[in-house]
Amino acid sequence: MRRRDFLKYTALGSLSTTLANCQSSGRWQPAAFRKKSSSRVAVLTAKGYDQPLKDVLLRGIKLCGLQVKGKRIVVKPNLVEFDPKGVINTNPTLIEAAIDAFRTLGAAEVIVAEGPGHRRDNEYLLSASGLYAVLREHKVRYVDLNSDDVRATPVRSSFTNFKQLYLPETLFNADLLVSMPKLKTHHWAGVTLSMKNLFGIIPGTVYGWPKNILHWQGIDNSILDINSSLPLPQFAIVDGIVGMEGNGPLQGQAKNAGVLLFGDDFVSVDASAARLMKLEPRKVVHLAKADAFLGNLASERIEQIGEKLESLQQDFDIIEDLKDLKTLTG
Amino acid sequence: MALQALAGGTSADKRRRGIEWLVRRQNPDHSWPLNQTVTAGSWTTALAITALGASAEHSERLHAAARWLLEQEGSKPGILAEIILWATGQSGVNKLSKDLIGWSWVPSSFSWVEPTSYALIALKKQRLHLTGTNVDERIREADAMIYDRMCTGGGWNYGNSKVLDYALWPYPDITALALIAMQDHASEKANQDSLQVLSKTARETDSGLALCWAATCFNLYGRDPSDFHKQIEKRFAASEFLGETKTLALAVIALGGKSNPFRF
Repeated sequence: MRRRDFLKYTALGSLSTTLANCQSSGRWQPAAFRKKSSSRVAVLTAKGYDQPLKDVLLRGIKLCGLQVKGKRIVVKPNLVEFDPKGVINTNPTLIEAAIDAFRTLGAAEVIVAEGPGHRRDNEYLLSASGLYAVLREHKVRYVDLNSDDVRATPVRSSFTNFKQLYLPETLFNADLLVSMPKLKTHHWAGVTLSMKNLFGIIPGTVYGWPKNILHWQGIDNSILDINSSLPLPQFAIVDGIVGMEGNGPLQGQAKNAGVLLFGDDFVSVDASAARLMKLEPRKVVHLAKADAFLGNLASERIEQIGEKLESLQQDFDIIEDLKDLKTLTG
Repeated sequence: MALQALAGGTSADKRRRGIEWLVRRQNPDHSWPLNQTVTAGSWTTALAITALGASAEHSERLHAAARWLLEQEGSKPGILAEIILWATGQSGVNKLSKDLIGWSWVPSSFSWVEPTSYALIALKKQRLHLTGTNVDERIREADAMIYDRMCTGGGWNYGNSKVLDYALWPYPDITALALIAMQDHASEKANQDSLQVLSKTARETDSGLALCWAATCFNLYGRDPSDFHKQIEKRFAASEFLGETKTLALAVIALGGKSNPFRF
């Protein structure tokens, strides 16, 4: 009997449903979160990394109405690990284009920052991934969020037992956090996109590696509490030019999707990205829960601009245990 | 540790100031905090013990810290956690034994290779001064835990050799650290295999950190680290190790010859 079947038919299944229902209420202070009536997500095509990506990024940023003039921006790519045969990381060419675009738009400073969750040898990760050459050429400061100074900040929702989180000081000294994840499936969380990418802002020197304490608290719960507690405004640019399907986030296969997604509501951006992969966002636990207080998941509450999402949808494979996510409900 | 490894009178004053800085920051319970913001006793205690190991005037302080370290242990999932792990499909995804206890990064969490290796180095150096404690028992179990977490074919990453039937790969920096912690088992096949892995992976890695750890490890295992020394110099010329203090300090130790603070 499969676990999911077992849970359907047993008391444990009922218990988990009851617990899940209990979790839906009282986990956040309603007054602290005001969802917008609708959120804008821009979907733009970019066939390859050799295209003029800066132009696409400028268009996406403009379509979303993001203002960056005079702001200090922290760009947070996904650099969790490196595999020369894989497509784990946000492509450095896209990061380079983002740096260029933000500077063109008048950003006061662009910083690239990451706190890798597995391999935290920065010199290796940056060199092997090709990002070091980009940072050097453009004279961009890199901050290792794993070992940055930290500041305690209260957790504004209570899906985990954390009452406070130590977050990197760099975030408190910036005006905007730009999450730049890779479009990937994830063998536990279903998808890893702009919300899950923020595991990388959790400092490893405080919480250890492989950020395991977040797993003990529940991956979805941790994603929710981290995202609810960010001390600065945020924006997402999802690298879906080449994504990853199957056994993500590390060992899946490359999937050409030729797309970039933009938006300031991470729930909307990630829900759109899930739909793009033909995965049902309502079945991704952290997205379904985030819909209640952090952002908009429902299609009718997302103003899709740029290309039509339906015309760009790709059938991303996912591990057997998560095949249920492939059943789209709308 | 780097200051301790530096020879010559010019660094004596800096060594003294470094030691005083460390001593001032010890917690009343004899542990060391991570930093001025996160003040609870942390995994850095093991590093502080190793760093102060050569200072005879602080022996009482060191032994008290080692006793604090012995009281810390990684935890294993309880029955409820096991049920949740099973129900969410995560109980059998890793190859590792959850029953072997070492040291964790964070109190009351799982044991991992690096904090356990740091603790083993500190405790194996202080072992003779810890009579009447469970030091031998803790070391024996932690040694077993380290071997349990070894990747297929040798070497270590953060502490997980397999996920969902996919083998994970070793990292040179952590392989070197684990080998340093297990230097008293140098002739074991696992150590020898892992030395081979280290030799290959460190050479292929564009990283001062990995090369410094590898050179330090080779020095302890009686192998010639001179190739690594050349590569360290090249990496520094290319990247200045990104300005990371940790790597610079390790470079001093790696290039420092016989006074290796990790030797026990």
